[in-house]
Amino acid sequence: MSAVASSRRTVAAHLVFVVAFIALWELAMRREWLSAAFFGQPSGIVAYLWDGFATGRKLWLELGYTVLGTLVSFVLGSAAALALGLVFVMFPKVEHAMEPYLTVLNAMPRLALAPLFLLWFGLGLGSKIAVGTSLSFFIVLANTVAGIRGVSQDLITLSRSLGATPRQVFFKVTLPSAVPVIFSGLRLALIYSMLGVVGAELIAAEHGLGQQLAYLQATFNMNGVMGLLALLAVLGMIVTQGMTRLEKALLRWQ
Amino acid sequence: MTVAISIESLTVRFGEVVAVDDVSLSIGEGEFVSIVGPSGCGKTTVLNLLTGLVPLAEGRIALLGKAPAIGNPDVAYMLARDCLLPWRTALGNAGYGMEVRGIEPGARDARARELLARVGLKGFEDKWPKQLSHGMRQRCALARTFALDAPVMLMDEPFGALDAQTKLQLEDLLLELWNAHRRTVVFITHDLAEAVALSDRVVVMSARPGRIVADVPIPLERPRHVRALQKDRHFLELYAHVWEQLESGLGAAAEAIT
Repeated sequence: MSAVASSRRTVAAHLVFVVAFIALWELAMRREWLSAAFFGQPSGIVAYLWDGFATGRKLWLELGYTVLGTLVSFVLGSAAALALGLVFVMFPKVEHAMEPYLTVLNAMPRLALAPLFLLWFGLGLGSKIAVGTSLSFFIVLANTVAGIRGVSQDLITLSRSLGATPRQVFFKVTLPSAVPVIFSGLRLALIYSMLGVVGAELIAAEHGLGQQLAYLQATFNMNGVMGLLALLAVLGMIVTQGMTRLEKALLRWQ
Repeated sequence: MTVAISIESLTVRFGEVVAVDDVSLSIGEGEFVSIVGPSGCGKTTVLNLLTGLVPLAEGRIALLGKAPAIGNPDVAYMLARDCLLPWRTALGNAGYGMEVRGIEPGARDARARELLARVGLKGFEDKWPKQLSHGMRQRCALARTFALDAPVMLMDEPFGALDAQTKLQLEDLLLELWNAHRRTVVFITHDLAEAVALSDRVVVMSARPGRIVADVPIPLERPRHVRALQKDRHFLELYAHVWEQLESGLGAAAEAIT
């Protein structure tokens, strides 16, 4: 059996399983084996999403808030972390001085800061961006420092013996060699930005998928809750896939 | 013969330990000299002093009349690890040394291509290092080293990590390149057959503290073919002679300890 045929069979098997699962779920609700008020119903979930995106179109706005918040958190957190990471590598004393404080901040469950951020930044984008940024920042910082420190000393020795200036060593050796590690940090940071933003929205927000989720849960709309959970899962997958593709294109040499 | 490298009363201490003890050595221009010795005898330390990577404390060193300095354009340096930059293609790696030394891109590219062809990597210019075998990677490193046009080449066990077959091929390749562009070569190895086959002179160092115990001229005719030499009577005699010197060096060190 060829590899293509084999992977097709795998896909087909998964499809059969998922369809069977959804059919069983639907059946269980229609026959009232389980309460749809607690578990939702596939047909109801589809109807909710259809209304949200096609007829009523209300969900686009919420999706937009969440995506925008995620992206801004990701960019802010990553940029700040990259900059501080570089400072740490260039001036280890700064790292040494700041390390205990950063360790404490990093150990703190950042979602617990959300109530504080809500007070400081309000119910709009500001507070959720603050939570998302605080999550993505530490991941990228750790990976930036690890990536730069992990450069092969042999490559540095060779470059120095060739007469490379410290600047050349940094741009031609250290930075490119750190890119894979930094990139895996960025990929995680994007996921964690989304986690932070949705988490903050769940606690309180004017808009966003998390805020909708909290509202739907409070009003016992399980079809809506399940629909949004599925939507968030898909969103997370798109984000990860996108980063993987970008990584493959950038790091063809790996 | 004009002197290219002169080392006078070189002593290296690491704390209390004397790693290299009063080494003096003079290497002529265009000469191929191997330094052999048991591991820990300080042969790599001597080479690192010549590159300027390790600062000189006791003794004097002159390379073409100059003190050793990192990035000396007269020197090309090669290690056992190929040290190819994994994010650069074979072509980018072959040209890396020239790039660091400020050769303009057009000339650099042409020269890198030429050298890659010389080392048998024509058609592999756009491959990433991970796509190349160990032997091919070391060929690429050879191309990078020869592309520099430096009159002095310092090689630290450049073929030490290769299998026997590949090693023979690359030794022949090195001799071929060296015949075409004569350079002064200091070649560190622990493989005596390699040292005898390649060199004009084999310098034998003793176990720590590293001292020169013998300086054996290798009057084998050039051009040489490493594989053919393996059965050559004269080669085998020289090889046996160098072995004796090395063993006496080990013995002397053992006596010094007791």
